[in-house]
Amino acid sequence: MTVSNQGVRGSTDDGLPADHAFVCDDCGRRWYYDRRSCPDCGRSSADASAVRLETGAVVATTTVETTPPDVRAPNHLALIRFDGVRLIAQAADGDLSPGDSVRFDGSHRLREGRDRTDPRLVAVEDP
Amino acid sequence: MDPSATGSTGVRVAGVGMTPFESDSGRSLTDLAAAAAERALADAAVDPADVDALHFGNALAEALDESAGLANALAAALGLDGASADRIENTSATGASAFHRGVEGIEGGAAGGAESDRTDVALVVGAEKMSAGDTSDVTEAISRLVHRREYAQGITLPSFGGLAAGAYLGRHDAPREALAAVAAKNHGNAVDNPVAQFRKPIDVADALDSPVVAAPLRLYDCCPMSDGAAAVVLTRGGDRGDDESVADAADPDSETFRAPRVAGIASATGTHAVAERPDPLAIDSVRTAGDRVFDRAGIRPDDVDVACIHDAFTVLELIELEELGFYETGTAWEATLDGDTALDGDLPVNPGGGLKARGHPLGATGLSQIVELVWQLRGDLPETRRVDGAETGFAINVAGFGNNSVCTVLRA
Repeated sequence: MTVSNQGVRGSTDDGLPADHAFVCDDCGRRWYYDRRSCPDCGRSSADASAVRLETGAVVATTTVETTPPDVRAPNHLALIRFDGVRLIAQAADGDLSPGDSVRFDGSHRLREGRDRTDPRLVAVEDP
Repeated sequence: MDPSATGSTGVRVAGVGMTPFESDSGRSLTDLAAAAAERALADAAVDPADVDALHFGNALAEALDESAGLANALAAALGLDGASADRIENTSATGASAFHRGVEGIEGGAAGGAESDRTDVALVVGAEKMSAGDTSDVTEAISRLVHRREYAQGITLPSFGGLAAGAYLGRHDAPREALAAVAAKNHGNAVDNPVAQFRKPIDVADALDSPVVAAPLRLYDCCPMSDGAAAVVLTRGGDRGDDESVADAADPDSETFRAPRVAGIASATGTHAVAERPDPLAIDSVRTAGDRVFDRAGIRPDDVDVACIHDAFTVLELIELEELGFYETGTAWEATLDGDTALDGDLPVNPGGGLKARGHPLGATGLSQIVELVWQLRGDLPETRRVDGAETGFAINVAGFGNNSVCTVLRA
């Protein structure tokens, strides 16, 4: 889909879904954490597209016991390397280990009191 | 090494002072800041009327619904009428950034302009009153430092610490005891430091038994929330022989001369989103700021006699020591277990207790590192916590989880 970044930076509730990254229409560079221009070619991100992330590899994991009031406890997190991007996201459970293959799945409220829902990371049994 | 072989900014630290760091001071932010400032002014033998510039570092006042206009309020409280004044904010590195602005203000004034316009004496103060909010307020305020897509996942700074700690132990096949040893060392160093928040010694077993915060990090791997303030007085004064210093204490010809000089200071930003780093154990801001400051000071890591490292989490002490070149990648944990970074080791690290045990009032922390180095370089400290013969001190203060780093080298 084509992304209008208007609103992406407007609030924490109306950005891309957690399983989408930005992709530059000019050079194809991907990035996950929204920014004003492509880090490679400098084209404005205002007319970047979005791409759904498929399968990634776990780099590191943690389970956070002390979380903000509107965040689940414990909060299982994983640092993942996808094609062209790296990100940290919530995992469905605490069973992931470095090297595991994962994908996004499901629909969850990642912080209480927010309208939107997003997928969490789950293991891919047969990558 | 020969001092004449090193670089210098032409700025000296003529006096230092700080309040105790504690969980709840019961004092206002301005009171804390003023107390530290008055101690620094007295230490430098500088009259408030001689202060040309005030730089006030504070990170969380607005987030915790404290007062605004902080620098002006502090200037009035101290009687600095007519001095220039500004507020510096750089999250956890606020104190060092304020120090950086103070050094630059004096250096910039040396480049030209009328004598009446230049800054000869700068007062740099950092203060934080984290007890102004309850734990959830402060956690929320600090979690806002992360990228907004990280925030949406409920990520906090300890989350990054847990991810990095797991990656460090796994990649380097290091035992969990290596992290606990950092905590035990820094808590031990704070026992004889009267301004430290925690003065109770702990051992490795205590650290390993404490509650999990962000696996594998436990409570004793994490710095506390703190109230406190630290301050320094900076004066113009180049190498020994320069007679432009204002304070007696900074007069190179004075018998009481004991003002360390700022041999170098540098800062650098890194990625805002931590996951964007190619390697979770690489912190570019630390490496870049370190390279710059060693270059500007004309020294190498081997020349450093004592270091204050930003140990907001125990694993950060290890990663930063490696990124800065004090140890090869993947070896700082062994050096720690071997006692190299202990007070009597080859490279004493965090002799005042570090963020871990001295405390971490965000706006004051970077300046408390400078205060500690000055005390060490002047030999002011009791034998139980003094690094004997220290001539070169190093400090790194880090914002967020490496969003921005500020490095300083002081020379006796």
